[in-house]
Amino acid sequence: MRRRMNGYLLAGLIVTGLMAALILLGLVWTPYDPDALMAGPKLEGPSLAHWLGTDSFGRDIFSRVLRGAGTTFLIALSTVAIGAVCGTAVGACTGYFGGVIDEVLMRFNDAMTAFPSILLALVLISILGPGNKYNVVIALGLVFIPSFARVTRTAFAALRDVNYVKSARLMGASSGRILVRQILPNTMQVLLPALTIGFNNAVLAEASMSYLGIGVTPPDASLGYMLSEAQGMLTSAPWYALGTGGTIVLLIFGVGLIGEGLQRRDGEVA
Amino acid sequence: MKYVCKRILMLLVTMVIVSFLAFAAFDLISGSPAEIMLGTQATPDRVAELEAQLGLDRPFLVRYVSWLAGFFTGDLGTSYSYSQPVWELIAPKVGITLWLSLISFVLIAVVSVPVGLWASRGRSRLGDAVGTVLDQLCMAVPPFFTGILLSWLFSITLHWFVHGQFPDLGTDPAGALQYLFFAAVAIAIPRIAMTVRMLRSTIQGEMRKDYVRTAISRGNDRSGVLWHHVLRNALVPVVTFLAQTMAEIVAASIVVEQVFAIPGLGRLLVASISNRDYPVVQAIVVILAFWVVLAGTAADILNQRIDPRLRLGGAS
Repeated sequence: MRRRMNGYLLAGLIVTGLMAALILLGLVWTPYDPDALMAGPKLEGPSLAHWLGTDSFGRDIFSRVLRGAGTTFLIALSTVAIGAVCGTAVGACTGYFGGVIDEVLMRFNDAMTAFPSILLALVLISILGPGNKYNVVIALGLVFIPSFARVTRTAFAALRDVNYVKSARLMGASSGRILVRQILPNTMQVLLPALTIGFNNAVLAEASMSYLGIGVTPPDASLGYMLSEAQGMLTSAPWYALGTGGTIVLLIFGVGLIGEGLQRRDGEVA
Repeated sequence: MKYVCKRILMLLVTMVIVSFLAFAAFDLISGSPAEIMLGTQATPDRVAELEAQLGLDRPFLVRYVSWLAGFFTGDLGTSYSYSQPVWELIAPKVGITLWLSLISFVLIAVVSVPVGLWASRGRSRLGDAVGTVLDQLCMAVPPFFTGILLSWLFSITLHWFVHGQFPDLGTDPAGALQYLFFAAVAIAIPRIAMTVRMLRSTIQGEMRKDYVRTAISRGNDRSGVLWHHVLRNALVPVVTFLAQTMAEIVAASIVVEQVFAIPGLGRLLVASISNRDYPVVQAIVVILAFWVVLAGTAADILNQRIDPRLRLGGAS
């Protein structure tokens, strides 16, 4: 298998890299204090001093977007981490060992994936308590476990009896070693695109919940909550909605391109 | 017919599991509804009295069964925050959400199938690249952002509809459906992109198969093979995919109803979650899940009509 760059992968890495750099910068420094009222004139359109303009309180929108994107980005990363680690563990064990547990877990999984993920996340959030960022991470992380479990289960089940796994077993390698050292590296082909899809779903889900006012709420900044704020200023400051929404689009678009590039590189479906 | 019955039985079993989970989850966390309704000042006597009145002193399974029966009798308990029967609160909103998801679904099917067919013909590298980037871009736009842009363009700028004034579905169906149409567009755009992509890769994969090569070598032209042979084979995964889309539509409609201020189930659900109004949340979750599972069942039955091989497998 030849592993090389392609245009989609490169473009995706550039877009995502730029976004990540801006977001990291935003964690330590923003041009203005994101919450400072009257950082500039009220309701001013984009200019050199305020790249994305100001809102009706005179707050600098670019600074706010940087801060909000940081929260969204970190929440998406942590949820994908929870979903991927737990989901891969479940998928690996059920796929490799099979048996009754496999059957039961997969039936449960089927029922879970039939549910719209946001609906499930909303149910969990209402159980855990709305309006808290840690609860958002827990709820979304749990919601993403089944999809990762399903993807990895298929891959592990397919590789269970290939020759190099058999020979490792003959040489006396433990199951744990086989799972982690022999099979896991060979599932990257399906795992990496699944990670990009998971990340994008996490960004969307977090932004949706925060938009609805039951995800991340002030004082924490979030792109979703800012978009709901921007909707109220749609007539007077349309650039607020465009700047905030555009950031979400770029974030998802970049990672989507990476996923596309990965799939093409590994010769999966075009 | 046997398959249809079997599939409907499976649907019922799934719904029992889903409703049980929903009931158990909320029963576990909500504590005593009587305490919530009476507030912190309540005396234990008063709480016990209300619990008996609401039937909460009965065992868990008895309460579950009577709650489940409520979906047929219309008695789903009382909302904590509105002090109104849950069913009265939900009933007028069910139709609105169903219409919204139906319009979105039709929009997705009607737009993405021709576009997908057209896209699957393209062979040039540039066309492929432009199409892929456009596809990724459409997928990247969250429905609530599209919704905000659409309401800005069509409501604030063009005045085609008045944002926030949803016409009554009974007295002004045309106005209501027009209002819902804009919301449906917002829901549909990313799903259309996904369906086009899926359709394209299915058809292109199918076109590489041996039977297509044989048909072409026998002198058939490409479009003839596409219409007469490939399409029917490509239909099964597409129908399955479209049914899964129903879950995504329902999910997106929860958010988009908020964007367009549509008084549907999604809006009530969000409000009820914020208010911790569990009886309402429970009921809406089960109704939405039922709608999604129903779509999946319909797709399976339809697929079994399309593909005779599935008919053989399913009848056993």
